[in-house]
Amino acid sequence: MLPRGVISAARAAQIGCKRSGFKLSSVFANTCVSSQTLGNNKQIRWHGDGPGPDAPTVQLTFVNPDDSETKISARVGETLLQSAHRTGVEMEGACEGVCACSTCHVILEQDMYDDLLDKMEDEALSEDEEDMLDMAFGLEQTSRLGCQITVTEGMDGAVISLPKATRNFYVDGHKPTPH
Amino acid sequence: MLKQCLLRPQTVAFVMNQTPIRSSCHLARLGSTRRSLWRTFSSTNNNDDVNNDNKPRLSVAVVGAGPAGFYASKYLTSSVLKRITQSTSSGDDDDDTHSTPFGFSGIDIDLIERLPTPYGLVRYGVAPDHPEVKNVENDFAALFNKQGESQNSSINFYGNVDVGKQIPLSKLQSLYDVVILAYGCQAADKRLNIPGEDTLEGVLSAREFVAWYNGHPEFQHIGPIVERCLWKKKSNTTNDDDITETSISPARVVVIGQGNVALDVARVLAKGKPGLIDTDTPTSVLNVLKGGVSHVSVVGRRGHVQGAFTIKELRELTKLDKEGHNVSFVVRKEELEMGMTDASMEELKGPGGRPKSRIDKLLQDNAVEEDAQSTDAEKSVEIRFLLNPTQLAPHESNLSKVGHVLCERTRLEGDPGKQRPVGTGEMEELPADLVLVSIGYRGMPLEGMEELDFFDSSSSTVVNEHGKLPGENNLFVTGWIKRGPTGIIGTNIMDAKDTVKSVMNYLETSVPVAGVESQGRDGLNDHLGAHDVKVVDWNQFLRIVSAEIDTTRLRSEAQPREKILAVSEMLNAAQR
Repeated sequence: MLPRGVISAARAAQIGCKRSGFKLSSVFANTCVSSQTLGNNKQIRWHGDGPGPDAPTVQLTFVNPDDSETKISARVGETLLQSAHRTGVEMEGACEGVCACSTCHVILEQDMYDDLLDKMEDEALSEDEEDMLDMAFGLEQTSRLGCQITVTEGMDGAVISLPKATRNFYVDGHKPTPH
Repeated sequence: MLKQCLLRPQTVAFVMNQTPIRSSCHLARLGSTRRSLWRTFSSTNNNDDVNNDNKPRLSVAVVGAGPAGFYASKYLTSSVLKRITQSTSSGDDDDDTHSTPFGFSGIDIDLIERLPTPYGLVRYGVAPDHPEVKNVENDFAALFNKQGESQNSSINFYGNVDVGKQIPLSKLQSLYDVVILAYGCQAADKRLNIPGEDTLEGVLSAREFVAWYNGHPEFQHIGPIVERCLWKKKSNTTNDDDITETSISPARVVVIGQGNVALDVARVLAKGKPGLIDTDTPTSVLNVLKGGVSHVSVVGRRGHVQGAFTIKELRELTKLDKEGHNVSFVVRKEELEMGMTDASMEELKGPGGRPKSRIDKLLQDNAVEEDAQSTDAEKSVEIRFLLNPTQLAPHESNLSKVGHVLCERTRLEGDPGKQRPVGTGEMEELPADLVLVSIGYRGMPLEGMEELDFFDSSSSTVVNEHGKLPGENNLFVTGWIKRGPTGIIGTNIMDAKDTVKSVMNYLETSVPVAGVESQGRDGLNDHLGAHDVKVVDWNQFLRIVSAEIDTTRLRSEAQPREKILAVSEMLNAAQR
């Protein structure tokens, strides 16, 4: 049983291969092999905190709330939250990546969102993630939690948006009025 | 006198006399011609670079070390450091903001907290069976653990310091460049304003109850009240000896209000000791809750579409039985139907309707007919809608204690988003041995603030615009005391960014005036020393933590900590 949101290398390969024009690199193929060698679907971990510096990387672009862009090298196998924290992208992770808050909310491109969804059980997000997204600010159709997305080679070049800063931060639509 | 201090005029001349660099900073903001003047000035110090050594460091006092205070500290530190980097990077004329000088060379934040321990409602509000939510403490602690990574920033913790009582707000304003109020809404409750609310024993606010079960040192007197309500002898035939530590209380508890706090208290009451044994719920609390309470009703005036709870907390209730807590979840089909007015349907469809629709579906999936057979669970949590409590009535055998909650059936009237509960005249009486009022926390002014125009007593928040208090002063506000007691921990992120933006704007457009005294941290230390305040600093707080996780205190390996329940004992631990 995979930890929630952790995509197995095999799955990741499917996602990657499905993308048009994507070529499975030899490095990534190795990742698949080593995953199989381990005899289970567990995400490979190096130092307990995501893949090490030797992991293959993909280029991701984060669009910050102020519309500026931050280009980073994300390590295959780490979560988007780990990528962001490792590279200084301003993304919170209040619950430390256990899907118990909505502070790592990201908005994906439609293709990436669909590809990830296709590979999930029941082709749906986990109940926990959906529940947390209900509390996210600036929710979009392609919203996800960064802690629930594992970086794959297929994501090279992806653009990931952080929710726009809003001055209306009442999660329940509450408007302050005198009582 | 106080008012004079708070509304201190910003005297540029004075600041120029004190710190010439600051005044040049002010000039720089006036426009590009002045900016070249600034460059000339600064170049006399150290080539073309801005000489940061001669600039003052920004001194900031943050009042309240809960999520609001921590997020404000975090974002203000990063904004100031970023701004310093921009101002010192050699002139990139393509980007004007990068070459604008900044008046400060660093930032020193003093995080002041009334209790000896930080984290506010993360420690004393978040339910003990939500340890993953408390993970955010590590993020907050990182602010202190990372001390020294940049010489340009520092943060100190001043625990056990009561602003208003031990140091006047006006004094803080005088000592610091910027004062950020983040002290929340922990001091009072919204009121039902119905008979019996203040007179009957066994009527508590959820705020008090939550603080008690989380081990808040100021709310441990709540325990004996809860114990009397849950375990009073029903008759002479019941013997105290029959009550074991896993006995289920036959008591009925009515929780009034339908936010997440209401669902938290219902869940904690239902779970009891068996369900909370591996959490940091104090042992003394578990000994009162014992095997949990047999009947908890969570009552709201409006329908399920208007509830303030979020789906995670609701779903937890529905899963209690499946997860072995011996608690069934009850929601009545007819009450869901009654709440489905045309306007409610619109609310489900409208913007922001997604969370409500998912809640609606969850409740519909769990709804039962009134006469339906319930599960074998010995305990139940029932969520009731469209019932407006009109009176808390005394117990038949003890007129000083609560015995019933009288409710009037309501129906919804009004446009989508504005539906109000209107009484139908039909009454229902809910038996209640304990009533927990969970209709919202209420902010209070700090001591010394009442006489100012800064506190809006109608909304119980501090008057502000994007976190900046009106008028010429160095006061800012963030968190619940800014926006009112709503939202989740994460809401404070947006809120803090909003306030920090205002602080940065203030630093750019006003001449920051660090008051007549302006010694910042040194001045605070002097004042607290002179008044014999027993300050708990960060390292001392860590000693309290060590004491709380000492294995000799713990029930089991799984228990994260056994909180210290008295301030005096905390202070002892801090000194060890």
